[in-house]
Amino acid sequence: MSIQLVDASLFASTDPVALQGSACESCGAQVFPAASSCPMCAGVDVSTVALPTEGTVWSWTTQNFAPKAPFRTDEFHPFSIGYVDLGSVIVEGWLLHKTEWVIGEPVRLALAKAWTNDDGTVVHTYGFEAVS
Amino acid sequence: MSGANIDNEVYIVGGGMTEFGRFDGEDQELAEQAMREALADCGITWNDVDFAVGGTNGETKPDNMVARMGLTGLPFITVKNGCATGGVALMTARNGLIAEGRDVAVVVGYDNHARGAFAASPARYGIGGWYGETGMMVTTSYFALKIKRYLHEQGIDERTLGYVSEKAFDYGSAHPLAWRRKPVSVEEALESDMINAPLTRFMFCSPDAGAVALVLARGKRAFELCENPIRLAAVELRGRRPGSFEVFSPWLSPGERTSPSIDAAKAAFDAAGITPDQVQVAQLQDTDSGAEIIHLGETGLCANGEQGAGYLNGDYKINGRLPVNTDGGCLANGEPVGASGLRQVHEVMRQLQGRALGQQVPNNPRIGFTHVYGAPGISACTVLVKEGANS
Repeated sequence: MSIQLVDASLFASTDPVALQGSACESCGAQVFPAASSCPMCAGVDVSTVALPTEGTVWSWTTQNFAPKAPFRTDEFHPFSIGYVDLGSVIVEGWLLHKTEWVIGEPVRLALAKAWTNDDGTVVHTYGFEAVS
Repeated sequence: MSGANIDNEVYIVGGGMTEFGRFDGEDQELAEQAMREALADCGITWNDVDFAVGGTNGETKPDNMVARMGLTGLPFITVKNGCATGGVALMTARNGLIAEGRDVAVVVGYDNHARGAFAASPARYGIGGWYGETGMMVTTSYFALKIKRYLHEQGIDERTLGYVSEKAFDYGSAHPLAWRRKPVSVEEALESDMINAPLTRFMFCSPDAGAVALVLARGKRAFELCENPIRLAAVELRGRRPGSFEVFSPWLSPGERTSPSIDAAKAAFDAAGITPDQVQVAQLQDTDSGAEIIHLGETGLCANGEQGAGYLNGDYKINGRLPVNTDGGCLANGEPVGASGLRQVHEVMRQLQGRALGQQVPNNPRIGFTHVYGAPGISACTVLVKEGANS
């Protein structure tokens, strides 16, 4: 079974879910999404890597108004976004299921519904949820 | 002034500025108004100008201003660097005057933006469409994420954000060209509609319309055109390095944080031979209330973390240790992107000359500083000196 994704290149796998970044062979820096060169050291020898799936909230905010296009949603509700420190890289993404967070709070990667296409297909993105 | 050859010194000798706010007309009408005011301010005409630089974030071509001003054959360079456009235009003009031995330059910046937050296209920033489709291509959430982290790291109370807004609208209400001229209390700012936590409606600037023009002159010519020319002691532009935290970033690197504002401010102070503690009036990029707090620290105008007590003490108010954004900044003036950086320089020029349009900084300030910062991670800073200050 394949899951419809906002962009398949963001994911190393969906079951279990993992994001795909790239790692620089020269300086070791990891970036997300995967890039064809390293912005940190200007190196060009990079390879894809599955990023860690657990981390802590590095910063967070709420999105209280519906962003302009190209934002897509079935029905807008305020949501949270944040940066999550995965150790090797800090990744921006949705923070799921609540709108109050604490910096340092442990979270883990999850798939989240983004919108429904006209043909009824549900499109998924990634987010982070609190580790309960 | 310093012992440098006066032929290599560039001065601001005149300025013009339109009212900022909503404008129902062509953006180049605004630019023309500002340019004509600036020329009149130092008693010259377009025929006396050797060189021009213009910037806008819109679709019109600044170099076509010659069709309105006169086809004198002068070289007119166009720059487009987002929120840093004004600083880049000023730097380009100064460098052109010195490198080419010209005497008089006009710098103009203008824009007339549509209502609402800027809508950015992921492709223009080299990011996949998913980033916009999932609602992360939003400038206001970036500002919120950045200040949330900064306040946490520095142990500053989120209520400080309300003090920034109060100060901005206080000075905007006293300025005849400002867009927002209604005072807002600290409590009103903190309790207004939440946009992106912790930032409320009164903590953001909005895109609007406006134009600013400055006349620059090199060497002795400056003193023929102006009684008290303001020396452009430094203008420095820097880009991001690894570790900076910029808008539209799906990822950040862990470890030490850097910032183009830190680098540009340090370069400007070094080039001018002036230290941050000597600054008596400053303009900082305050696209949101949090940005002013961050930029106070990044430019070295205060120690990181000192801002909480600083705002409570009124340190950055007109009678304080270091008056900041004395015309209400971006918060009260809005941000016509191309004009915004030159508005800052125009305000500091007038403060140093003792002819502020709004509230005047007391005790004859002689050293000023300006800072712009914007996507995709660039900053331009100037140090401005009223002659006689450094001798």
